[in-house]
Amino acid sequence: MEKQLDDLKAIREMMERSTKFLSLSGMSGVLAGLTATAGAAFAYFYLLRDPVAASYGQMYKMAILLADALIVLFLSVSFGVYFSWKKSKKNGYKFITKVALNTAYQLFMPLVAGGIFSLIFLYRGDVDMVLAATLLFYGLALVNVSKYTFSEIHYLGITEIVLGLFAAIFLTHSLLFWTIGFGVCHILYGVIMYRKYDMKK
Amino acid sequence: MKNIISKLNKAFESRVRLGIMSVLMVNDDVDFNMLKDLLEVTDGNLASHLKALEGLNYIRSEKQFVGRKPNTRYIITDAGRIAFREHLDALEVLLK
Repeated sequence: MEKQLDDLKAIREMMERSTKFLSLSGMSGVLAGLTATAGAAFAYFYLLRDPVAASYGQMYKMAILLADALIVLFLSVSFGVYFSWKKSKKNGYKFITKVALNTAYQLFMPLVAGGIFSLIFLYRGDVDMVLAATLLFYGLALVNVSKYTFSEIHYLGITEIVLGLFAAIFLTHSLLFWTIGFGVCHILYGVIMYRKYDMKK
Repeated sequence: MKNIISKLNKAFESRVRLGIMSVLMVNDDVDFNMLKDLLEVTDGNLASHLKALEGLNYIRSEKQFVGRKPNTRYIITDAGRIAFREHLDALEVLLK
């Protein structure tokens, strides 16, 4: 009986590990959320609310916003890669595998499309639509990638899509929706995933 | 009880073969190195199990060249799929 039970466990593990990237850590979610919140706070207090910023040229403002967004993106991706690398090392798995590369492709395909789409809005000066579009495309990317990693990501993706649509409808509050989506949701999701998968091991 | 145990496929008794079949069930084709990384076994060990499964017609292999390096891909056959599923069913029944 013991052997049969172990066999079934081994079968399941092999099926999962050969199709899904399971080295994603909840910790990267938490840190991405914190980074996004800090980036949004910077944009809010130094560009949108600050009276001094009103005198800045439109192009100058957009450049600062773009730099802010790129720093947030770079830090979040770096945290993601770093903690995944650490987790796979801890479990004794190889980090860069066919499965990992496929997972990255499934995630970044919609993200790159969304990124270019958002840049067009940014170029036109429509920051609110940029915020809505990034949420929407990020959500779609997560739904897409959820088949190749922890399936819970599917629900995070749906949440981001809904928030993105709300951000597009209530444009004056788009930064609030963006902060909830990229900040609060990431932190919550990261904590849940960390407790579910990372802590017991 | 004896009847059920006899339904377990002797070909899948080894953990390595079980692993090979599991991976091939859910992937269209898998190359030697990926199997090696996933199963964490030596070249020789893996090769002999692959050969045995190929001999039983449960899997087939396709040799090709990636650049100048030979690369062997393994694909599960219909017979292999059926045999493995029956083995899984037998395992499940046994555990109930």
